[in-house]
Amino acid sequence: MPGIEYLIEALTPFNLLLALAGVIAGTVIGSIPGLTATMAVAVLVPITFSMEPSSALLMMGAIYTGAIYGGAYAAILLNTPGTPSAIATTFDGFPLAQKGQGDLAITLACIASVAGGLIGAAFLLFLAPPLAEVALAFGPVEYFWLAVFGLTLISALSEGNLLKGLIGACFGLLLSCIGIAEISADVRFTFGNQVLLGGIETVSALIGLYCIPVLIDLVATPDKHLKVTHKSKSFRFLEALGISWKKKFSLIRSSVIGTLVGILPGAGGSIAGLVSYSEARRTSSNQKNFGKGEPEGILATESANNATVGGGFIPTLVLGIPGTPPDAVILGALMIQGVRTGPSLFTDGGSIVYTFIYGLFIATIMMLPVGLVVGRYAYQTIITVPKALLVPAVAFMTMLGTFAIRNSISDVIIMILLGVIGWILNRFGYSPSPIVLGLILGSIAEQGFVQAWTLGSATGEMGQMFFGRPISLAIIAFICLSLFYPVIRKFWRGRKAGGSNV
Amino acid sequence: MSNNQTNSNPRDIAGLVMSSLFIIIAGIALWDTTNMMDADSYIFPRALAITMIVLNLILIVRNVIGMSSDVVQPEKKGASTVRRVALTIGMLLGCAMMPFLGFLISGVITFLILMVIAMYRKWTTKTMVVYPLIAVATVAGFYLLFSKLLLVPLPIGILFE
Repeated sequence: MPGIEYLIEALTPFNLLLALAGVIAGTVIGSIPGLTATMAVAVLVPITFSMEPSSALLMMGAIYTGAIYGGAYAAILLNTPGTPSAIATTFDGFPLAQKGQGDLAITLACIASVAGGLIGAAFLLFLAPPLAEVALAFGPVEYFWLAVFGLTLISALSEGNLLKGLIGACFGLLLSCIGIAEISADVRFTFGNQVLLGGIETVSALIGLYCIPVLIDLVATPDKHLKVTHKSKSFRFLEALGISWKKKFSLIRSSVIGTLVGILPGAGGSIAGLVSYSEARRTSSNQKNFGKGEPEGILATESANNATVGGGFIPTLVLGIPGTPPDAVILGALMIQGVRTGPSLFTDGGSIVYTFIYGLFIATIMMLPVGLVVGRYAYQTIITVPKALLVPAVAFMTMLGTFAIRNSISDVIIMILLGVIGWILNRFGYSPSPIVLGLILGSIAEQGFVQAWTLGSATGEMGQMFFGRPISLAIIAFICLSLFYPVIRKFWRGRKAGGSNV
Repeated sequence: MSNNQTNSNPRDIAGLVMSSLFIIIAGIALWDTTNMMDADSYIFPRALAITMIVLNLILIVRNVIGMSSDVVQPEKKGASTVRRVALTIGMLLGCAMMPFLGFLISGVITFLILMVIAMYRKWTTKTMVVYPLIAVATVAGFYLLFSKLLLVPLPIGILFE
C-alpha cells in the first residue's frame, strides 16, 4: 500500500475534524437546489488558505464529496436535483419516495455514495498515473460520441413514446444553443434580447423543469406531498445494505464508470450518473421497473456520481488538468498554496497527496453516519411539514438557489417559465428528462462535433475522424448496444425458446 | 420522470397542436440560423431544427392515420387550476418586486402569498400567528446564510439604496 505512514498523518484529530466538518457543510450545501458542488467548494475554499496543503486538500475533498451526495436529498424528496450530478437520481428516487419509501431511497443513496466514493478514491490511490493518460486520449470526437451515448438514455426516459422523447431532446438541444456560440462566438436565438445572451443556465433550467411542475401539482390538491406507508423508526440501513449487496456488481460497475468519466475533463458527475444509469438499466433483470422506483437505478447513479470525485482528482493531481469543475477550484486553491501538480507530486509531494487520498477515504466513510442522520432529518421534515409551509419554502429555495448561480433575476424568471413549459409539455406526454438531457449534453455534443468536423475537413479524413479511432469505436459499440440491446435480447430469447420447444 | 398513470389516445387533437407548435419553433430556429455567417455556428442548430420538423411531421402523420400511441396524463380529481395559476403568478410577482423591495422583503411577501395559496386547512389563531413567524424566520435565515456567509450579492432594493 503506497505511503501507509501518511494514513496515520491523515488520522490526526485535526484532520478528522476537518473531514467531518467538510462532509457536513458539503452535504447541507449540496442539498439546496441551485447550490452545486462547485459552489460549495468555491464558497468554502478561503477557509483552507491558512491550513497546511494536505489538510486544505483534505477539507476541500470532504466538502466536494459531501456536496455530491447532498444533491440526492432534493432529487429523491422533491424531484429536484440538488446538484446536476443527481439528475439521474430523480428518475427512480422520486418515484420510490412517492411510493412511501423515501427513507429507504435516501439510505440507498447514502450507501451507494459511500461505495462509489471509496472505489473512486481507491483508483486514485493505486492507479492515478496510468489512468491519467485516459484523459489525454479523449479528443473532441470522443466527447461527441460520449454525449451521444448519454442521449441514448432518451429511449429509457420516454415512457413508451420514443418519438416524443426525441422531440423533447431536440427541444433541449436547441435551448442549449441559445446565447453566444462557444466556438464561433456568433449570437444565436436571442432575437435581440440581451438577457438571453448568456444562454439558459443549466442548473436553473434543471430546477425549473423538475421542481416547478412538482410545486404546481402540489398546490393543486390537498393531498400529501409524499405517501407515508409506515412509521419510519429507523434508517432502514440493513434493508438497504441487503439490496446493495444483491446489486453489488451493478454498484461496482457504476463506480468504475463514474471514476472513468470523472477522469475526462469537463464530463462530470451528471454524465457519469446518466451513463451508469443507462448501463444499469440495460443489464438489469428488472428493466421494466426502471423509472418507477427501482432501487438499482438509485444505486447506479449515486455510486457513479460520487466515484467522479476520486476520478476527477486523477488528471487534476497528475496532469494539472481539472477533471470536474470543483477540481478546477481546488486546483486554483492548491496553486495559491504553492503546490505544483504533476506526476512528480506523487513522488516529491507524497506527504501532501497521500495524506489527502487517505483523508478522502476517511471523509467518504464519515459520509455514512453524517448522510444517514442528515438524510433522515430531511425526510422527516418533508413528510411532516404542512403543505402551507412546504410549498412556499421550496418555492423560495428554488428562487434563491437560481438567483445565487449568476446573481440574476432574469435567470429566476426563466426558471419559472421553463417550469411552466415543462408542466404543460408533461401533460401532453413530453417527459422533462429528455429536454434536460438535451440541454446538458448539447454544448458537449456541439463542441465535440464542430471541432471534430473542422479537424476532419482540414485533414480530409472525415470518416476516419468520426469512425476510425479506437475509443470512439468502443463508445459507438456501447451506443449500439444501448439502443438495440432490448431487440437483440428479445431475438435471442425467442431463438432460445424456439430451440427448447423443438 | 413521472410515475402517474397514463391514458392512451389513438387520435389526439392536443397532440396535433403541440406538434404544430414545435414545427413553428423549429422553423423560427431555422430562419434564425440564416443570419449566421460561420458554419460552426449554424450546422448544429440547423441539423437539430430539421430533425425536429421531421420528427413532428411523423408524429402528425401517425396522429392523422390514428396510429398514435400517445400518452396523456389524467387530471387529478378536484385539482385546482386557480391555485396552480396563482402559484406561478405569485412567484413571478416575487421576481418583479425584487429589484424594488429587495430580496428580503419581496421574499417574505412571496412566501406569505404562496402560503395562502397552498393553505387547505382552516386558518386558526395559532396558524395565523405561527405560520407568518415561520415565514419571516425562514426567509431571514436563508437571507443571512446567502448574503453574509456565502457572500451572494442579494438585491437590497432601489427603495432602500
